[in-house]
Amino acid sequence: MATRAFQRLPTAPAGRILALRLVAIALSLCIIAGVLALSGHSPGMLAELILRSTLGSRFGLEDLMLFMCPLLLTGAAVTVCGTIGLWNIGAEGQFYAGAIAATGVALGLHGPVLIMLPLMTIAGILGGMAWITVPTLARAYAGVNEIITTLLLNFIASLLTYYLTTGPWRDRISGAQVSTQRLSVSIPEMWGIVHWGFPVAIVIVVGLALILSRTRWGYEIRIGGANPEAARYAGIPVRLRIISVMLLSGGLAGLAGMFEVAGTVHRLQGGMANNFGYLGIVVAVLARGSCLNVIPAALLMALILDSGIVMQTQQLSASVILAITGLILFMIAIGDELAHYRPVATKPAKGKAS
Amino acid sequence: MNNPAAPSGMAPGTPPVLQLRGIGKFFPGVIANKDVDLDVWPGEIHALLGENGAGKSTLMNVVTGIYQPEEGETILDGYGQTFTSPQDAIRAGIGMVHQHFKLVQAFTVAENIHLGWDEAPRLASPAVMEARTREISERFGFPVDPAARVCDLSAGEQQRVEILRVLARRARLLIMDEPTAVLTPEETGELFRALRAFRAQGNAVIIISHKLDEVMEISDRVSVLRGGRKVGTFRTVDCNPSMLAATMVGRDIVRRDMRARPEGAAPIAPQPIMQLRHVSVRDDRGVDTLRDVSLDLHGGEILGIAGVAGNGQRELTHVLTGLMARTSGEIVLDGSVVDRADPALFAHAGVGHIPEDRLRSALAPSLSITTNMALREYTVPPIGRHGLYDAGAAGMLAHDIADLAQVRIPDFGMPIRNLSGGNQQRLVARREIRIASRVLVAAYPARGLDIGAIATMLGYLTDLRDQGVAVVFISEDLEDLLNVSDRIGVMFHGRMMDVIDAENADIATIGMLMGGREPTDRQPGGPQ
Amino acid sequence: MTVSGSRGRLLTTRREMLGLAGGAGSSLLLPRHARAQAQPAWRRPLAESDAIVAFGHTGPITDGGWSMVHDRGVQAVRRTFPKLRTIYVESVPYSADATRLFRQFVAEGAQMVMATSEYGDFIKDVSDRAPDVAFMECDGTNVTGNLGWYYVAHWYASYVIGIAAALMTKTNKIGFLGAFPIPSVYASANATLLGAQSVNPAITLQSITINAWFDPQAATQAATALADNGCDFLCGIMDEPAYLRVAIQRGLKAAMWNTGMLDYGPQAYVSSVCLDFNDYYISQVRNLLAGTWQPDGHFLTLGHGVDRDAWGPTVPPEAAARADDMRTRMLAGHNPFVGPIYDNHGRLRVPAGTALSDLEIYHSDWAVAGVSGLE
Repeated sequence: MATRAFQRLPTAPAGRILALRLVAIALSLCIIAGVLALSGHSPGMLAELILRSTLGSRFGLEDLMLFMCPLLLTGAAVTVCGTIGLWNIGAEGQFYAGAIAATGVALGLHGPVLIMLPLMTIAGILGGMAWITVPTLARAYAGVNEIITTLLLNFIASLLTYYLTTGPWRDRISGAQVSTQRLSVSIPEMWGIVHWGFPVAIVIVVGLALILSRTRWGYEIRIGGANPEAARYAGIPVRLRIISVMLLSGGLAGLAGMFEVAGTVHRLQGGMANNFGYLGIVVAVLARGSCLNVIPAALLMALILDSGIVMQTQQLSASVILAITGLILFMIAIGDELAHYRPVATKPAKGKAS
Repeated sequence: MNNPAAPSGMAPGTPPVLQLRGIGKFFPGVIANKDVDLDVWPGEIHALLGENGAGKSTLMNVVTGIYQPEEGETILDGYGQTFTSPQDAIRAGIGMVHQHFKLVQAFTVAENIHLGWDEAPRLASPAVMEARTREISERFGFPVDPAARVCDLSAGEQQRVEILRVLARRARLLIMDEPTAVLTPEETGELFRALRAFRAQGNAVIIISHKLDEVMEISDRVSVLRGGRKVGTFRTVDCNPSMLAATMVGRDIVRRDMRARPEGAAPIAPQPIMQLRHVSVRDDRGVDTLRDVSLDLHGGEILGIAGVAGNGQRELTHVLTGLMARTSGEIVLDGSVVDRADPALFAHAGVGHIPEDRLRSALAPSLSITTNMALREYTVPPIGRHGLYDAGAAGMLAHDIADLAQVRIPDFGMPIRNLSGGNQQRLVARREIRIASRVLVAAYPARGLDIGAIATMLGYLTDLRDQGVAVVFISEDLEDLLNVSDRIGVMFHGRMMDVIDAENADIATIGMLMGGREPTDRQPGGPQ
Repeated sequence: MTVSGSRGRLLTTRREMLGLAGGAGSSLLLPRHARAQAQPAWRRPLAESDAIVAFGHTGPITDGGWSMVHDRGVQAVRRTFPKLRTIYVESVPYSADATRLFRQFVAEGAQMVMATSEYGDFIKDVSDRAPDVAFMECDGTNVTGNLGWYYVAHWYASYVIGIAAALMTKTNKIGFLGAFPIPSVYASANATLLGAQSVNPAITLQSITINAWFDPQAATQAATALADNGCDFLCGIMDEPAYLRVAIQRGLKAAMWNTGMLDYGPQAYVSSVCLDFNDYYISQVRNLLAGTWQPDGHFLTLGHGVDRDAWGPTVPPEAAARADDMRTRMLAGHNPFVGPIYDNHGRLRVPAGTALSDLEIYHSDWAVAGVSGLE
């Protein structure tokens, strides 16, 4: 017998990946159940509670959608950037920048909602774009690694938000901590607490998938990401495409910030990005570069986050939930890798079987 | 044929260095090897011949432990062996020098030799490593400079480092994949001398090659693979090139007189389609890579470009296709001067380009076959309209190209890297020929192809010529150049030494021009 | 003398504050149920065994400070009502996740939700949609149909400690650590400095806000910076005792917050603003079970939920005596926050002859003259 009965293929079929991911999730749930049982919790009761509080009730579905809304956009932001082979690690910062810009409009201008909301949307998108401008130009013209530059700007954006919400923009009306006052404009609610940002985010993600697969620009982005040399060979202006993709990515993350500020939190607040920018990276990795896959990936992430909320009320601390999240993602990563392996039929060699 | 001839002069009972029995290796949808038996004896140079995709490289990857075979066994010195990794094979005395060198470019020769070598001293100063390298280099007769960085070495020198790496690890069986592809004739001669010396010590060599002359010159026996199976093993002395070629392709090669035009072919156009006027290119380091080149490309004509690789052919190709900006001079396309180096502009003007490193620069390996086939036509209807990209139309185009290239594709949505290198190459060639309505620039289009595929490729070029397209055919193979070209330009150090009529050209003159010598006498043998 | 175990009746300042949105038209969390009921569920008596009370804490209950004090209250509730179920979540972030957690409490059937720190909109948005659930927010400001607030009038104890600080400081500089520039922090800093200035008007107070309630590293750095600036008396509103350690190392004095911390460093410890929510929580749950709970605003006052801790061993007896003298007057109803009081921009905030009410102090958003580091 050959010692290795498996062979690694360069590409894994989508069906196998899906199957192995389901196995991975099931397996991690078993592990988690085992650990919980050992620590004196009742996994069955907990599972029932989680199901009821997420997928199993209108209340839970509302929460899921609210979680998905920013994840869809930040996940799409990272995915779009990844299509041209770049990593936007700065969705968190662009999220803040978009939220700041939208808040600035809401605090500084007054007008009817029909005018204010589009203005805030544009401001949010432009804010996100502005935040990624320097990394974009540095990448396009000087070849500076965008991973570092986008990442570092996250900290600046976060601190800027703290500065604004404890300094010039702090709430002088109700004295809320690290917050601006409640914005007078908000995205209308669609279904319970779910605001219209959610369906818009879904439409945007589907639209992006269509743009990437059905437009000349999308084609050029895909070629540029798969092989920049081939893109140059075909006369694709790679530099311009990098600029447009990164700005789009920043704009998407900025829009996520605007949606969150105007739809969910209703104030600019320190820490309000809630890691949605970083989780967007996880969503993008789960989506494996496909915009359409961002939707189920964001759903999975939202499920995990929402389950975390439920488990906290059962005296499981936030750090336990982080560990559980890590375990599930780790198992999925292993599943993805295993999907590349194909069992190889080995015939025992004559007399040499070992 | 099924009873491979054993070399003479072996002591009775001496086992072969390497025996393969019934090797089978399968990839999804592909039989790479099936029922392959092979014996390699001590003291022989064994050539492995076959078309692209015949399974030569896969077989050698099985021998060196990179792949594990699904069927069959590997016997070394009479004992069955299973290699689970290349390290196992190296420990058993099998070393392979790949076509694409696996050296660390930023390391010195000595560091590369010692890299991953379990006999390397644990704490070695550069001086110690260089001394050891010098000793090894002298012992095996491959002169190298131990302190030089690999990136500064020529291809031939890098190959010597690769061979030394293998020999230093006490290889008794040396496998070389296309070793002469990157070498100058002189370097090829040195390599062959060294291989013979290696053989004389009782070692064995397997050499994978397409070049029949070299196989005839260097090998003791030849095994021919076709379609993943072995056709037969022959004593080289019993072979001749045409018989080997016929065995390889399984059919007789029709060598047509390729310079002669068939009935109804477009004549050579009097007005040039494209002109280079005193074009020079200076690279980032300030080196003039193209010096004052002037060329006229006429429709219905094949212009061959001869020269040792690295004498400006790449730059010429890139200038002709808009990939590289000229430093001075003028490029005239259809009567108007082109100012911008813009590959899309050239492509839309009907300039096709089969680049030298086509698998690396003309394809996006992780994307689908359809996507790759649309690369040249995604902006024009029916695929590109109003800024959109019609995937359905791209799929039809991909089918057309695959049909013309005679490549069978089970699934156009799979990444193109799942195809064999030869098939990728055919698809690129066909894609470029499709758009080459005015000019085709083909850089080494036959490189890496087997004889059958070379004939097909040259046929493509003459067909285009007959349609009135101007063809620029860059090659190292003088025979191919002389077969199809109407004129031949010879490059040396970025200069176009001369452009001569192929009909009157002789190899001696071209050789002199390639070496940078102006023929002092245009009429060989004439009075001074 | 600590207030724990004190059984005094709660003195509360009840003030109905009209919320913006009452129960009307905001019923989407439990829509049908809510519309069917004319009266919210908490107006009816509730059996102890059916009751679920949920607590959301801002920090871990082992923080040795704010959240621990509240958890003591939760334990007192459990002891008093053994059949009642309590659930709690630690480290509830001040973000949209807080909304999710409070919604989850409601989904799990809690009839009463106590946020033991300020969560503003995050709790109000939930309470508006769950009119059948009683909500209380510590340090809150909103009173709606089913949401009330409660807080400790800690500024009296701070004033008392300020008097002792004035008699102990040699540099006349008090260092103050706060989490965020919010009213409680203004109130505490102002009261401490006013108490000190009542002894020695030359005393100033330097403040640093570190953007976290619980961040020992940042608190240590901030305390070190204050010490480097010449402050020899540290106090503040932090949920952990990091700056007491700095005081020990630098040979300074420190007054703390939340609980008595004498054991952490007797050589530096002066006193602490000690909090005790046990009786308050028990009374709220009792009202809920009886169907008599009302949403309103409560202050836990000096001696009834908030007091200074017993003086540390290094506090000079005359300082302790002078401070306690004021405390006694306060317990008898004296309000020391009388004008004229200027802010640190020189503006007269409280004219002579007028006094600040608890609610005004509770909503402080300005710092008195002599405070730096707070705008």
